[in-house]
Amino acid sequence: MVENFVPVLILFLLAAAFGLGTVAISSLLGPKRPTKVKQETYECGMVVDPPAYRPFHVKYYLIAMAFVVFDVEVVFLYPWAVKFKQLGLFGLVEMLVFIFILLVGYAYIWKKGVLEWE
Amino acid sequence: MDFQISDLSLLAPHMVVTGTALLVLLVEAFRPGKGRSDATYLSILGLLVAAGLTLKQFGAPASTGFAGMLIADGYAAFFNMVAYVVGILTLLVSDSYFRSEEYEHGEFHALMLMSLVGMMLMSGSNHLMLMFLALETMSISIYAMAGYMRTKEGTESSFKYFLLGGASSAFMLYGIALLYASCGTTSLTGMVEYFSTLPSLSDSPMALAGIALVAAGFCFKIAAFPFHVWTPDVYQGAPTSVTAFMATGVKAAAFAAFFRIFVVAFPIASGAWTSAFWVLAVATMTMGNFAALAQRDVKRMLAYSSIAHAGYLLIGMVTATSEAGTGMLFYLISYVFMNIGAFGIVIMLGKKGEDRTTLEDYAGVGFKKPLLGAALTIFMFSMAGIPPTAGFIGKFLIFKAAVHEGYIWLAVLGVLNSAASVYYYLRVLVYMYFRESESESGDVIRTSPLSILAAAISVIAILVLGIAPGYLVQIAEAATAAF
Amino acid sequence: MSESYILSILAFLPLAGAFLLLFMKSENVGLIRFWTLGVALANFVVSLPLLWLFDASNPGMQLQQKYAWISSLGISYHVGIDGISFWLVLLTTFLSVICIVSSWSVENKVREYMFFFLLLETGMIGALISLDVFLFYIFWEAMLIPMYFLIGVWGGKERIYAAVKFFIFTMVGSLLMLVAIMALYYININAGGDATFSILEWYKLPLAPSVQMIMFAAFALAFAIKVPMWPVHTWLPDAHTQAPTAGSVILAGVLLKMGTYGYLRFAMPLFPNAVEAATPFMMTLAVIGIIYGALVAMVQKDVKKLVAYSSVSHLGYVMLGIFALNPQGVVGGIYQSLNHGISTGALFLLVGVIYERRHTRMIEDFGGLSKSMPWYATVFMVVTMSSIGLPGLNGFVGEFLIMLGAYLASPVAAIFAASGVILAAGYMLWMYRRVFFGECDKEENQNLKDLTKLEWGYLLPMLVFVFWMGIYPGFFTAKMEPTVDAWLKQVDDKRIACSELVDENPIAMFFTEDVSPSE
Repeated sequence: MVENFVPVLILFLLAAAFGLGTVAISSLLGPKRPTKVKQETYECGMVVDPPAYRPFHVKYYLIAMAFVVFDVEVVFLYPWAVKFKQLGLFGLVEMLVFIFILLVGYAYIWKKGVLEWE
Repeated sequence: MDFQISDLSLLAPHMVVTGTALLVLLVEAFRPGKGRSDATYLSILGLLVAAGLTLKQFGAPASTGFAGMLIADGYAAFFNMVAYVVGILTLLVSDSYFRSEEYEHGEFHALMLMSLVGMMLMSGSNHLMLMFLALETMSISIYAMAGYMRTKEGTESSFKYFLLGGASSAFMLYGIALLYASCGTTSLTGMVEYFSTLPSLSDSPMALAGIALVAAGFCFKIAAFPFHVWTPDVYQGAPTSVTAFMATGVKAAAFAAFFRIFVVAFPIASGAWTSAFWVLAVATMTMGNFAALAQRDVKRMLAYSSIAHAGYLLIGMVTATSEAGTGMLFYLISYVFMNIGAFGIVIMLGKKGEDRTTLEDYAGVGFKKPLLGAALTIFMFSMAGIPPTAGFIGKFLIFKAAVHEGYIWLAVLGVLNSAASVYYYLRVLVYMYFRESESESGDVIRTSPLSILAAAISVIAILVLGIAPGYLVQIAEAATAAF
Repeated sequence: MSESYILSILAFLPLAGAFLLLFMKSENVGLIRFWTLGVALANFVVSLPLLWLFDASNPGMQLQQKYAWISSLGISYHVGIDGISFWLVLLTTFLSVICIVSSWSVENKVREYMFFFLLLETGMIGALISLDVFLFYIFWEAMLIPMYFLIGVWGGKERIYAAVKFFIFTMVGSLLMLVAIMALYYININAGGDATFSILEWYKLPLAPSVQMIMFAAFALAFAIKVPMWPVHTWLPDAHTQAPTAGSVILAGVLLKMGTYGYLRFAMPLFPNAVEAATPFMMTLAVIGIIYGALVAMVQKDVKKLVAYSSVSHLGYVMLGIFALNPQGVVGGIYQSLNHGISTGALFLLVGVIYERRHTRMIEDFGGLSKSMPWYATVFMVVTMSSIGLPGLNGFVGEFLIMLGAYLASPVAAIFAASGVILAAGYMLWMYRRVFFGECDKEENQNLKDLTKLEWGYLLPMLVFVFWMGIYPGFFTAKMEPTVDAWLKQVDDKRIACSELVDENPIAMFFTEDVSPSE
């Protein structure tokens, strides 16, 4: 059974060798003429501005977290909707409980002012 | 997979506690205010209602629900009760603490209640996935609670606990995955069936590795050697009332799941894990006690002593009979009372922004504040296991079960450890009573009717359980009779 | 059977008194003192009817009372007394009164002091009357708590060290005994007995000699520390020297007797074959204790420390008598424990008297006291003589019986022990000479007040017993002899019954690790 994987191993080794080899050869053979512009951080060809190390507004994190929560809610809702009939009443009650808990959280963050961007 | 609407009735206490948490959160959002204890009263009320619902589970036959994931039996009911006691006592001791620190927010209550839901589910989980989710529900709330005060130490504590807790969860999850890979299920019932087909565990090294990793995850939560290194820093840095909550609630819930899973699902591997736990138990209590001997800070001393207590409880894991389970249940409930009680006194002796937890801060307090001193004395004697306190009965039951199974040397090492622990518990009393106070220690204490109530409940419980333990022993015996 | 409550009243009356004490204002020192004295006196009065309620001719347990306590474990509240514990109970109630009177001079934190004293009385009586091993253990350990505080709060300079040492020494021994108690509990069940901690049931349990040895070792260590026997005696001189006067009195008078009582009640009747095997060893330790205690007492500069080491020596006699295992020796041993309570208690009281006046106990600070305090010197002389064992005083009777018993059991031990008597005379009289005779050359000593009325009040009853027990010992021995005879027979019968037993399966499992859990 293990011998079935030998081709996979060979492929893996070849892939690794190709990747590493390319990098190694280009660093060995390629000419090196560093300039200020070349040494800057690569940012899709744009001019780097401003420095990356600066604080984000705390609101950003709050919004991001709220987004993740409701994003996951949808991930959960989708399969439930697909299997809605089979899950029946129990599924409905469960989902209502789930949505209710999130709703309370939503009311909480709303009232606490998380959603206001000022 | 058959889910029924009636399964929800098993979750009634959990839903009450969850509902209370949500309610507290909404009240906090819509009616924020300082100087009121609304959230505290509301939370206590919710826990009492849940306790009323749980009472009905005692004596009722065990029933499972949610496709066998959740089990409601006397054992789970007992640990739910422990969770309510932990919750109520923590709320009571927190009252004067957060009031004096001017940090009264309902979020604390909501987090704590959600953590309690996690604890309750842990003791009732009959499935490793549910157990893991419950564990995370409990832990994530506690990470937030540890850093709740946003002090430097609190943040450090929270962050350390989070990083190491995350690592341990990963261990446990990996263990569960390996168990799933070998058994094809993670339900306790299913795993037992699978193991019963195996002639011996050596036929499934993967399952053995899974069991070991799950054990490592639990050992982290109960702060057993060598997974204890986070304990002193986390316990010392966290707000004192959170420390009380972590030291008792997490330990009780983790032991509840630990004992159920290992005794129910892994008896086949008992030869392997009993000898491992034997070593862990001895190492844990010895390490905890000897490190505690060196502490000059009461809060840190209590942190190390909680490691030692985990060691005594591990003796129950080694023994792994229903008799040992009875001992562990009794020990845990006494531990809850004496530990939260002691932390409550530690809170009272501090003042705003200054915890005042060195031994010197306790000098002469015993005669300045006789009631407070007497309460702490009783807690210390109970922790040291000296009669007539609940701590003695708890140790007695655990050691007795170990002796019954022939672990005489384990019991001997256990009692020698408790003798060593007497030294540092007595040292607190030495400072409180035998030394004159040099500073203003104990002149001002922060109390409120609620925190005094917490101390009174703990003292009475310890003495009652120490003098007339019969009733609770019977309840604990009934709760563990199934194992 | 209303009189059977009497033992429970004795045990819990002080406890109730102690709790009522907490409701009194701590400034109200007079009330607190009289209240405590009232409680102690009441308890003494309650204990007096025992003199006629107790039937001396009945060797069994009397005045028993039994209730289920933790029924699922077979633990019960079971009390009773026999000839072994009878006088010790009375000694406890008597000495408690004396101690409270002698504590009149305590000025510091009187309420707490009296509280702990009454708690201690409950612990002591409770331990003496318990017939359930679990109950006994609770009282036995709980006794440590008040004594710990009495030494630690009201003691001398090194009180903290002494208190902690006292506590931990006793704790280590008793915890090992606890493991042995648990093992016995299961051995009893495995042997087909009920789940019980009743000592009377355990007496009937046949044990193989090899098992007895292990169990005896655990019990004997716990009691040896309490007695204290050489070489685990080192906590005693510290505790005695640092404790307040009344604490020393009760420590010497009753607490140490708990050790010898433990041997008589538990260690010896439960494990007679082990006792037989260990007798030479225990006797050797006892004799070493006698001679060592005496020699160390001789070089002490502190009078109280001298008395403390003399305690080690005296308790050596008690142990020697008990392990002689004949009627003379055992009766002598019990008698000597009572004597020691009276005479050493009185010595500590007398040392307390002089310490209050001079705030020193160093022999070199005194000299010629017989001139300034003639009555004090007289009383001191009587008590010294009683401690040495002068015929006509109490000490003689006990020592004589012990010597007789020891001689019958082991002449060599008796000869060595007799040298202890000579040494005792040496150190006591030498100390007496240096303190009371010679020139009264120190100015502070010349105008010392002689005994006050209060001091007479607590010394006189002690003197009465010094003479009474010396002149008419029959009154006391009559109550214990039937029990001791029955006790010896029981020990011997069990020894013979068990001698052929072999350690079979139920016990073998206790010392192997990888045993499968029982079904």
